[in-house]
Amino acid sequence: MQLGSSDRTRSIRGRLSAAACMLLASGVPGMAQTADTGPTTQLDLTGLLYGEANRVKVTEPTARFTRLYPDGHSYFAQLGIDVITGASPSGALPSGRTQTITSASGNVQTVSADQIPLTTFKDTRVALDGDWRKPIGRFASTVGGHFSKEKDYESLGATGKFSMDFDQRLTTLTVGAGLNHDGVFPVGGTTGELTDPTVIVGPRSNAKQVTTGMIGVSRIFTRKWMMAFNASRTYEQGYLTEPYKVLSLVDGATGLTTGELTEKRPSTRSRSSLLASSVYHLTDDVLYASYRYYWDDWDVRSHTLDVKYRHELKNSTYLEPHLRYYTQTGASFFRFGLIQGATLPEFATSDYRLGPLSTVTLGATIGFRAPGSAGEWSVRAEYIGQFSDGHPRDAVGVQRQYDLYPTVNTGSFVVGYSYGF
Amino acid sequence: MSLTRVEDYFLGRFSAMASPCEVLVDTDDRARANAACRIAEREARRIEGKFSRYRSDNIIHRINQSGGTPIPVDEETALLIGYAATCYEMSAGMFDITSGVLRRIWKFDGSDRVPAEAAVRDVLQHVGWHRVTWESSMLTMPAGMEIDLGGVGKEYAVDRAAALIAAEIPDSFLVNFGGDLYASGWRRGQRPWRVGVDDPERPGEGALYRIDVPRGGLATTGDARRFVMFKGKRLGHILNPKTGWPVENAPRSVTVLARTCVEAGTLSTLAYLQGPRAGDFLREQGVQFRIV
Repeated sequence: MQLGSSDRTRSIRGRLSAAACMLLASGVPGMAQTADTGPTTQLDLTGLLYGEANRVKVTEPTARFTRLYPDGHSYFAQLGIDVITGASPSGALPSGRTQTITSASGNVQTVSADQIPLTTFKDTRVALDGDWRKPIGRFASTVGGHFSKEKDYESLGATGKFSMDFDQRLTTLTVGAGLNHDGVFPVGGTTGELTDPTVIVGPRSNAKQVTTGMIGVSRIFTRKWMMAFNASRTYEQGYLTEPYKVLSLVDGATGLTTGELTEKRPSTRSRSSLLASSVYHLTDDVLYASYRYYWDDWDVRSHTLDVKYRHELKNSTYLEPHLRYYTQTGASFFRFGLIQGATLPEFATSDYRLGPLSTVTLGATIGFRAPGSAGEWSVRAEYIGQFSDGHPRDAVGVQRQYDLYPTVNTGSFVVGYSYGF
Repeated sequence: MSLTRVEDYFLGRFSAMASPCEVLVDTDDRARANAACRIAEREARRIEGKFSRYRSDNIIHRINQSGGTPIPVDEETALLIGYAATCYEMSAGMFDITSGVLRRIWKFDGSDRVPAEAAVRDVLQHVGWHRVTWESSMLTMPAGMEIDLGGVGKEYAVDRAAALIAAEIPDSFLVNFGGDLYASGWRRGQRPWRVGVDDPERPGEGALYRIDVPRGGLATTGDARRFVMFKGKRLGHILNPKTGWPVENAPRSVTVLARTCVEAGTLSTLAYLQGPRAGDFLREQGVQFRIV
């Protein structure tokens, strides 16, 4: 190419610019349709299998549908069905002798002397969630609704969220509120509190209201690091008791069980939590870490530490190990059982979920694209170990021999498929 | 298409035009990022389908199989051919969309095999835009010749996708189709997009240096992956349509920043075709560039 004269070369850029301008001028037929990109839809399907060794088994298929419009507004809907079968500790103690457990629904079961009594159940829960999000400039608002129903529980709720960007959109402030109205319909009717679990005294239906308020701020600190802080407060009021849980009455000297009483919980609960989370991007990988502190006026305090590391492999494949540690103190009215003949406390429960416990979760997710398939697959497997103090200090007599809150080993397996069209 | 959140922007990835393609959107709004990526993917596939020389159902195939019959072309094809014709004229015949047939005899596989002189002479009979009659959206090309819009198609797709995205979302974004890219404007916080330029010695293994691109097109021409060795010299895959041989003493890579990706791509190709004079050429043009 002989472009010796600089006059000649200098003219190239100008002429090129004019030619490119003409080339890229709009109005080319056939392009109007491509500019008119309509809404897009994302469909996510997951199947969860969850099993505690010898206890609860949960099968939970969910379908999630998201429709996104080019202007940023979106609709979201999710349908989930849980099929729960298995057994859960009833709250009663090993008897030391053959023990019978009766319940309001008329089931009677016999348990051998040194076993933790369990109540068996089978239930199907259907949950429907949806929301609508609309951004307007620096602001965005989201309204959502929730409905779920199972044999003895129904929940209806609404949420609203509003967020706002500041400081070149590096900082986002979000405020939100939610309201839930739940109904609890114990099978056979509602039993009394700290009374014989076979006697129905209450109404068939019991109401529970849950009000939540939250405020959060997220901030991009550097190109690689983002953090978010959230504070939330939830107030629950109404029937907060677990209808099928009982406490054992034991002989104060021998520790042998003499009977059961229903549990009794306060009718209000005020819960608070603070959450700090961080996302840090390495060259390709991402480190997620969060810490949550929770407390309530039942004296449950908990710490949760959650760490995930997403490691990018070749061909849109990733591996994400997950580690979570959770520990909580027991509620002030948590008892392993009640002593026969002693004055009844104002409130009492022996539901292990309100006792002191810790859980450790270890797992990993693999995400990939199957050859010849349009969507993305993910497979997650997790182990959850739950540890409690099985030998509480206030246990008496024969109860000291037993591990009252044995370690529970759980495995979960989730297969997900995500497809956009 | 995959869409992931990276730092404070979204990154969409897909494959089109035999290249990895990326769209970066500086937003916290997944929906808008998703919309941008879908627009880019659709446009890339549309242009690939319409102008790829590997397909048998498009206008390029009809032209290449015409055997001397005049072929009428649609407006968009006419604009692209018109642009290529202007480049041919401006570069005194160095930028030539009919030079693709030379690839029949050149295999840039890193070996030391070069075609025989006679073979080059034979093929050159079928090269030369001056042999083509181009008027009123009608193209008449002698049998045995072929056109290939590959030298401008990818850059054109980048600019087209960028224009379509800019009409849909307010956010700053960057479209990158196999290394030819366009950035739409400053990111939030008055930051430019930072683009790493591949080290031609070690392709794919990390950036040799970075260029900050707040707005405009960036394109690179080079021999990073496709070359032959001849008498101990490395010859890149860009062929001189007049000699039928690769450009000699060419730089390893030429990167140009211009107003649009099409301009950046054309300028980097023209500079590369200048061989050792590439730097002088670009300095005369007064554009930002890097030569390795």
